[in-house]
Amino acid sequence: MHEKVLNLLETGKVDIFLGYKMMAGHPLPHAFGRHNPVEVQEMILGPARYPLEKLAVEILAARPDLKIGILARDCNRRALNVLTVHQQVAPGQVQVLEVSCCPSPLQRHADCSSLEAKEFGAGKKEIGIDNNLTPDRLEAMEPTERFSRWMYEFQKCLKCYGCRDICPVCFCRECSLEHEDLIGTGDLPPEVPIFHLVRAVHMAGRCIDCGLCEDACPVDIPLRLLYRKVNELVADLFDYKTGLSLEQPPFSLLFDKTAQPAAAPHGA
Amino acid sequence: MTLKRMRFLKELFAFMGLGGRLRLEWISSAEAQKFVKVVSEFTEEIRALGPNPVGRYTCESGKKIGRRAACPTAPDPVLADTAPGPHTVPRAAAEGR
Repeated sequence: MHEKVLNLLETGKVDIFLGYKMMAGHPLPHAFGRHNPVEVQEMILGPARYPLEKLAVEILAARPDLKIGILARDCNRRALNVLTVHQQVAPGQVQVLEVSCCPSPLQRHADCSSLEAKEFGAGKKEIGIDNNLTPDRLEAMEPTERFSRWMYEFQKCLKCYGCRDICPVCFCRECSLEHEDLIGTGDLPPEVPIFHLVRAVHMAGRCIDCGLCEDACPVDIPLRLLYRKVNELVADLFDYKTGLSLEQPPFSLLFDKTAQPAAAPHGA
Repeated sequence: MTLKRMRFLKELFAFMGLGGRLRLEWISSAEAQKFVKVVSEFTEEIRALGPNPVGRYTCESGKKIGRRAACPTAPDPVLADTAPGPHTVPRAAAEGR
């Protein structure tokens, strides 16, 4: 892995490479450059996950001349696809170096923080929603029960915006969740369930089910479950498979024809 | 597209446990009778569902809040027999005091 990264850097295929490095005892995202090849040896693989593609897009916004390589799992690739169809990054501007993330008989350990299901306490299972449920299992409950369970979960929200900040596909410059007239900043607790439903609707055709939001959530709201349902609906109703290919227009729930520039690189 | 969008919203609401509170109809300005029929029908449907449970999470000030403990639940009957919506009535009641 280290040789591959060094090779990418030395051959000039990428200018910087985003990977992980232990810093102060934590595996954190780090940009490795060709000026310091020794440092590349400190790059680590492990279950740590951050939206590296989001960092790459942010770096490219400031320095469009750079070419960036990232360490990518399947979820990173899907996110990069979404960012590319939404024209946040040009195809090929971000190179990916794939790392294994799914377990298989050939590969004992898998490098992903979300593969091991978290265990939740009895209280949450009693009146809230176990994050490990599937949409079907939740739908088997009575609607009134489901509602009170969701409200229990949403009421815990600290409005930390962690779900949005970690989200690899949240790239909007203006966010509805911080708009004075829509949600407003500063008020605590947030208006429920509007706050979470607004974000859920905005995840339609964007969420690539990486689960980082749920990892980031300090109060364990089952966001991934909610967005999973949203994107099941998107797939069923609109026949749109989020993040699976570059050959599709960006999805929009609001407009018949998605906003595409005149010379769209991919056929709409 | 509107049809799909409405189905999307309906199913999302249903997933939340708020199903049956959304309806889409096309009614021309010349179809007064259809308008009356649809509105009466839907009113009955909603009445049968009872008050919107989100109302239980509404403060007297009319501001929706997250935590029930921080704000005692508004009594459901008040919300039930007042038509315009959970916002207006509690606020008016508060001003009247």
